[in-house]
Amino acid sequence: MSETTIPQADPYFIDFPNRIRAIQAEMGQQGIDVYLGSRLRTLSWTVDAFCPWRSYVVVPPQGLPTAVTFVIDAARVADDSWLDEDHVLGYGPMGGQEQISVLSGLVRPHLKGGKGVVGIESGMATYLPEGNLTQYEFECLQAALPDARLTNAHDIVDRLSLIKDEGTINRFRKASCIVDIGHQAVYDAIKEGGYRGMTETEIGGLAAYAMRKAGSEWEWSFTGGNEIASGYRTGLAAGACTPASRRALQAGEPLMVDLHAMFKLGLGDHAHNYLLGPATPRQRWHAQNFVTLVDLCLKTYRAGISPSRLADELLEVCEEGEFAEYLVPGFEHGIGMMGDEWRIGLNDGPFPYWTNPDHVYQAGEMLICAMQYACPEESIGLRYENPILITEEGCEVMSKYPLGVEEI
Amino acid sequence: METYKYLSPEWAQEAARRLKADLTPDKMKHLTSSMLTVYTDCPDGANRAVCYRVVDGVVEEVSLHEGELPDAEFTITAAYEIFARISRADLKARAALMSGKMTLKGNLVKALRLAPVVDRLNEVLATIPADY
Repeated sequence: MSETTIPQADPYFIDFPNRIRAIQAEMGQQGIDVYLGSRLRTLSWTVDAFCPWRSYVVVPPQGLPTAVTFVIDAARVADDSWLDEDHVLGYGPMGGQEQISVLSGLVRPHLKGGKGVVGIESGMATYLPEGNLTQYEFECLQAALPDARLTNAHDIVDRLSLIKDEGTINRFRKASCIVDIGHQAVYDAIKEGGYRGMTETEIGGLAAYAMRKAGSEWEWSFTGGNEIASGYRTGLAAGACTPASRRALQAGEPLMVDLHAMFKLGLGDHAHNYLLGPATPRQRWHAQNFVTLVDLCLKTYRAGISPSRLADELLEVCEEGEFAEYLVPGFEHGIGMMGDEWRIGLNDGPFPYWTNPDHVYQAGEMLICAMQYACPEESIGLRYENPILITEEGCEVMSKYPLGVEEI
Repeated sequence: METYKYLSPEWAQEAARRLKADLTPDKMKHLTSSMLTVYTDCPDGANRAVCYRVVDGVVEEVSLHEGELPDAEFTITAAYEIFARISRADLKARAALMSGKMTLKGNLVKALRLAPVVDRLNEVLATIPADY
């Protein structure tokens, strides 16, 4: 077990044994004998360690779970996790030690006479590192456990992880504080013409350096870490994904700075926008539209509202302001501990594994307020992202960096 | 030179004697662990196992088993002929594991950490003149 195991008085404490007991209680209710998690979000939520390699967690009906990861990283995961080294196993290309042998060896003792129900995680995702069990893994496990029934059970973890506990929320607050430090570093570097000669990658790197100095573990997003876009790249049609390029920043263009920091698997994700002067009246018009809309959006989130109702209210404002055509539809995406980045709520919408537009937010849920404004024909786009905590009366905005489109 | 029938009680007795004599607790890194080597397809068709128990670097037990096997921290399973080839230095244990000719059950991270200690143990066993 890690020397850095968090004592209960720590603001970042999470009661992981209690999470496991909650999974086990749900397993009991659903007649599941043993749960095999494979999604990155499940690993973060149960193991409390970043698992970049293909990993699994086996949750027995009682007692501690066992994480399984690539042997080259198993000792590090055990060191970071609340689990001890006997409950973090490595797999590798050796007889009896490849994934299926290790997993079936952990699952089999919980199946009486080899029979029983194994909960697995399957489905689809827009998020590449989601980690659903692959068809090949499924078939190999079924062959190794011929009398067991493998059933999709990811709803258990999805449901239990929906409402965030205090330790998780505090980790997100801290990650957002770190992102704000990154934004300040970017501003300090680009102000007063300092941006001249800089590239998007350089902006991403100097923000990363500032955030790492402040304790960020990495720029966690699979979209290339810190997403930096300038000029026409800010306004790609219907776009909201901009890994930094080698493009040089230029006067008269917009600059979009979307930073990501991670603190104990809590995620910071905040986008801020600039107009590198001289700005045109038309650019300022776009910027004003965008700020108005973000401000309204943040004031609209509260328990009881749904994504579709929020969209209706905001799109009405866009129509009135005659800028609806520039708004990329969608105002949020899901968020949780590392690996839980896309769908909001449960898998209960009209399109499987997409957000249910009629999901009713509850106090204690977190999401990323995410808005993208794109006008390709004028080579301008603006992005806002910020983790928010839904409360009964509204929402808590995690990044405190002032809302605005700053002219440099 | 006296020779011992591989996996016979006499062989096990000689193995215990040599391991205790040749491996100091320091050489064994004061390890406390247990290892079961399971031999399938022995020449008489039976399956057999040898259990090694080490306490604080001292080899305290080398025992032969058939039928129900004792629990151990690590279980290594292979055909008798594979073990025989390893003992005759015809085959490296690592190569047998990597090719799937031998299987290991137990914590791989710990096993890799203990691999040099197990190598020392195997080196001593390989000095026993044996009839396979």
